[in-house]
Amino acid sequence: MLPLDIDALTGCLASSACLVTQTTSGFIIGMLLFLVAVGLTLIFGVLKVVNFSHGAFYMFGAYFAMTAYQFTGSFALAMLCGAAGTALLGLIFERVFMSRVYGSDVLMQLLVCYAFVLIFDDVVRMIWGPEFKSMGMPAAFQVAPLFIAGGVVPPYYLLLIGVALVVAVVLGLGLARTRIGKVIRAAAHNPGMVSALGINTGLIYGGVFALGGMLAGLAGALAAPVRSLTPGMGFSVLIESFIVTVIGGMGSILGALIGAILIGMIRSFGSLGFPLFTEGLMYLFMVIVLVSRPTGLFGKEVA
Amino acid sequence: MTELQAEQAAVVPRIESQSQRSRYRDVLIALVAFAVLAILPMLTGSKALLDFVIRCSAFGLFATSLNLLVGFTGMVSFGHGMFFGLGAYGFGLLMQRTGLPVPVGFVATLVITTLIAAAIGAICVRLKEIYFAFVTLAFQMLIHSTILSWVSLTGGDQGLRGGIPRPAFLGIDLSNHVHLYITSCALLVIGLLLMRQIAQSPFGYTLRMIRDNATRASFIGIDVWRAKLTIFVLAALFASTGGIIMALFVSGAYPEFAYWTISGEGIFINMLGGVTTFLGPMVGTVLLLILNDTVTRLTEYYGIVLGIVILFFAIGLRKGLMDFVVEWYARRRAGTGERG
Amino acid sequence: MLEIRSLSKSFGGVKATDNVTLDFADGSLTAVIGPNGAGKSTFFNLITGALRPDAGQILLNGVDMAGRSPPEIVRYGIGRAFQVASIFPSLTVEETMLAAVCADQRRASVLHRRFPLAETRDRAEHAMELLGLAGKRNRTAATLSHGDQKLLDIALALVLDPKVLLLDEPTAGMGTEERWRMIDKVKELWETQKITVVFIEHDMDIVFKIAPEIVVLCYGRILATGTPDAIRGNEAVIEAYLGTEHHAGVAI
Repeated sequence: MLPLDIDALTGCLASSACLVTQTTSGFIIGMLLFLVAVGLTLIFGVLKVVNFSHGAFYMFGAYFAMTAYQFTGSFALAMLCGAAGTALLGLIFERVFMSRVYGSDVLMQLLVCYAFVLIFDDVVRMIWGPEFKSMGMPAAFQVAPLFIAGGVVPPYYLLLIGVALVVAVVLGLGLARTRIGKVIRAAAHNPGMVSALGINTGLIYGGVFALGGMLAGLAGALAAPVRSLTPGMGFSVLIESFIVTVIGGMGSILGALIGAILIGMIRSFGSLGFPLFTEGLMYLFMVIVLVSRPTGLFGKEVA
Repeated sequence: MTELQAEQAAVVPRIESQSQRSRYRDVLIALVAFAVLAILPMLTGSKALLDFVIRCSAFGLFATSLNLLVGFTGMVSFGHGMFFGLGAYGFGLLMQRTGLPVPVGFVATLVITTLIAAAIGAICVRLKEIYFAFVTLAFQMLIHSTILSWVSLTGGDQGLRGGIPRPAFLGIDLSNHVHLYITSCALLVIGLLLMRQIAQSPFGYTLRMIRDNATRASFIGIDVWRAKLTIFVLAALFASTGGIIMALFVSGAYPEFAYWTISGEGIFINMLGGVTTFLGPMVGTVLLLILNDTVTRLTEYYGIVLGIVILFFAIGLRKGLMDFVVEWYARRRAGTGERG
Repeated sequence: MLEIRSLSKSFGGVKATDNVTLDFADGSLTAVIGPNGAGKSTFFNLITGALRPDAGQILLNGVDMAGRSPPEIVRYGIGRAFQVASIFPSLTVEETMLAAVCADQRRASVLHRRFPLAETRDRAEHAMELLGLAGKRNRTAATLSHGDQKLLDIALALVLDPKVLLLDEPTAGMGTEERWRMIDKVKELWETQKITVVFIEHDMDIVFKIAPEIVVLCYGRILATGTPDAIRGNEAVIEAYLGTEHHAGVAI
């Protein structure tokens, strides 16, 4: 029936080298997912919008970074372009289009997002062409991989994991401690009250969308050296980060982090044990979480 | 007998005959529609037109059944497409592996759909609103992954190939294009008629109550869970029928039939046509397919054009075409009423 | 006869209903009063199955309702109307009534006939007449005035021929004049329909004027029960109201 390769899985679990390699690759997948998912979850938490076009920001981040890298040759500038470009895109997208459908049906919001998934993919096709592209690994990271307990770990992976963890900590602390964070959390709970206090909710909404777009763009930019670029590349990332937010709980940053790592591990180890059913495993996991705890592992229970 | 009693006695048969008459009217419209569609092959030799109608039948049944969930019950399913895929694969596999007569294969597919829909529905309908949407999407993708990975049964990403045997029955030979066309039209018309009956039955009004206010519905004695499960399974049956038509049409089944995009298109068709009228989704189906066919012929940037059309409906009209027409008509009539 | 026996419910340590024992005689009219947060709505939610009691019994003519689902309890004969009118916005008044009778006749899942069924007609008509909604039968519920929506909510409960009718603040959100019209209607329904009516009310003028029986809840417990005169003179009641709400100027 379903292709199982239990031997490969148990074999790997017994070898420290394989364990390290798979765990690292699980973390890479998970951290990129986290960067995308955390924006999705923030936007949902504050605006109550499921941003179906979020994968497009990831895609644009990668393409912006690639182009910037080709022109300047600077990795840092490439990352900056990826993040800043998508932040701007997010702001425009929210102010010009999404803000028009807040009051209406959830389906209408989804439809606007769906329209932009189609449009953005074609725009990328127009500008960069339909074929696979590659940014290439920056020279600074073309060094010998590290060996940890016999497992191979490219240095770039460490950078990637590091950046994602820093983002998680900064976001978590920022929302909890700073004044802006408090305003954002207040807007999530009671937008009417916040605007009554004279705070511009439009600015907050636009800002949250820009932040979410920026994080997804950063993820795309970070992924550009290690993944191939193609129109529509945002889609599978969207679906997976969507699973992450649902599992972690819509609106919860910690949930997004834990959910992303879980999904990363499922993908990494699942690809050994269930090579063709790795995706199926993720969906199965999502069903189980939804049925046993509809609001996700870290979501707030609905009264 | 008092005057009031006499009046009430007269009212009762009137109500019954009114609802009876509406049923006759629906049957009549269906017969006329079927007759027009059946005459079409005699008027035109265009195979493309007949193909178009067959595809409309498949997607029309699917989209209208989705509207029973979305529009009538307020259950936004993102995974309704799984039953479209299930119908196509179930029927294709049964015909390929068992050599059953077509009608038996058809009924057997619906039985399988009922069982699977009941099992999935029993899990899903407990969840509300966006969580229901998520869990149905997850099930859809689970089924899609299963189809991809169970290569020995389904052919994996290649799909069910080698053609679906369609032995003739009762003088109907589905490998004949016109026969297939007439059969598709008949399934469409019968399916729509049955769904119309569901929508206008007491059960249909139970669904409307659940959509409007499920809590209140349970406080007048309605078992909301049971009603939701019932409509979930019924809608799955019509979606499955759409899938069967599709499998017959392409003589195969492909993983895309079970992919989430089918559900997405179903939702889109509903928004395009409008969810407040019964025929809205059917209008939406025709619109989307026409749009599909013309735009892909004119430009390779299909996504941009379709995206702009969607934006026009979502941000411009803010409702489906039929909703818009109905409201416009009602306003116009109210306007002339005031003047007159 | 509705008998409540040692009914209890707590939310995270807070006892919203604390060992309540009460009898509602057939055909009685009882007002439930108490300061905000006294557990009045929780009490109703427990009786109608919206909440599951932690302990205790709810006996309707000897049958225990505790732990049953709302649809089941409705079918045993406990109907309710809500504090915020709970209606079906897109259905017309007439459709609402016809559909409710359908549900009561166990015909809510009939597929092979057309709505409305002729046999639901008389009862729907009767309920609309009782609540004075017959003239607005073709209006969709969403377009009704606030008062009419409250009446429609009550009609929804009444059309099911309940033995016990629970009304959660029938006069909530109304002006003085409208309040009295509503409460006269409630009293009229109680007198003509010969059913047990229990209602929650904040307006003490109304309570003392029309309710033959009064139950006072406070912090989930029964503070006092009795006739208006007995309640008026009850030390504990005065204490509770003056202690918590004297600044609101409630006159007892």
